[in-house]
Amino acid sequence: MSPVGTNERIPAELMVAALKDAFRAQRTAPPLAGEPLGWILSVPDTHQRSVIAELEGDDELRLLTCSTEDEANAIAAGLHIGGAEVALMIQHAGLYASVNTMRGVGLDGGVPLFALVGLLSREPELAPRDSPRSMVRFAEPLLDTFAVPHTLLETRDDLHRIPEYYALSRERSGPAVVLVGRETA
Amino acid sequence: MRPEDALRAIDEVREDAIVVPTMTTVPAWRTIAPDAPSVACVVVMSGASSLGLGLAIAQPQRRVIVLDGDGSLLMQLGSLATVAGAAPANYTHLLFANGVYQTSGSQAIPARSGIDFAGMAAAAGYASTTRIETLEEFRIRLPELLSATGPVFAELATEEAELTPMTAPGGEPLRVQVAQLRERLARESG
Repeated sequence: MSPVGTNERIPAELMVAALKDAFRAQRTAPPLAGEPLGWILSVPDTHQRSVIAELEGDDELRLLTCSTEDEANAIAAGLHIGGAEVALMIQHAGLYASVNTMRGVGLDGGVPLFALVGLLSREPELAPRDSPRSMVRFAEPLLDTFAVPHTLLETRDDLHRIPEYYALSRERSGPAVVLVGRETA
Repeated sequence: MRPEDALRAIDEVREDAIVVPTMTTVPAWRTIAPDAPSVACVVVMSGASSLGLGLAIAQPQRRVIVLDGDGSLLMQLGSLATVAGAAPANYTHLLFANGVYQTSGSQAIPARSGIDFAGMAAAAGYASTTRIETLEEFRIRLPELLSATGPVFAELATEEAELTPMTAPGGEPLRVQVAQLRERLARESG
């Protein structure tokens, strides 16, 4: 992948391809007939809306819209126990809303929760910690408080972080988060 | 009906179903069915319906039975819509409705006498819903609840349990339960 300008948005199809790479790397066998490669649990995120639209027409991944992020964390636990690959797509507000479930399921339960978390309203020229918006500013400190590894996704050069952090969540048997710092294309 | 009697009835007919108890059903289920493929949802009080949904869609060849509580379900009432939307055919949602938050001291749930949980599940889009008042009726209808195309919802009018996770703590930590059940399901799936 070639470097791009800082203002170029990541195409949705590349995000979906990175998720598939993440799932394939963890599977021990290809999916059976009718079985998806993996599940995406979404409480719709504005930053990632183009990815959600792309997923709706995808043949290999199954998209399930959840009513709350708490549900998404618990459903992810059930899918993991049942042997399926799963990722969450949520917004920073949903991270704050569901942090107790993430703690219980991911930290106490040892469930490898992987989440793409959109930083809606993040200013591209600022590091998230320097944002004047509390919703953006506190995301990384919150994850640090719970010792959840996280990274920032801004350009297509960062896409490798999706399979890396997905694998990290499995290695740690706990949460790992990729913060989506720009709206996807 | 006494919840312990309802749990014994479930254990008699569950076959290889995966069971997700929460809160006051946890201590009794641990004693009644210690070898059942189960994962207890206590760390996250409101998560049983969702945890069960994930299991049901990952293991479509097996029945999943969620042993939910009314107070727990109220904390994630939207899960009724999520379950109905996912429409798992192998999902049975049994709501132990005793009208109180028993684990924290038996405080009444909101609108205790007026909530129609089965009606809520029907409105959300469950394939079938019912309310059952007596153990005798539950025993008669249980085989159908566990074999009908889901998602199935049954609100059980129950008394308070003999034990709660506060009065009878124990069992494996969630981390151990998760690992053991995942390994067991993988082995039994061949």
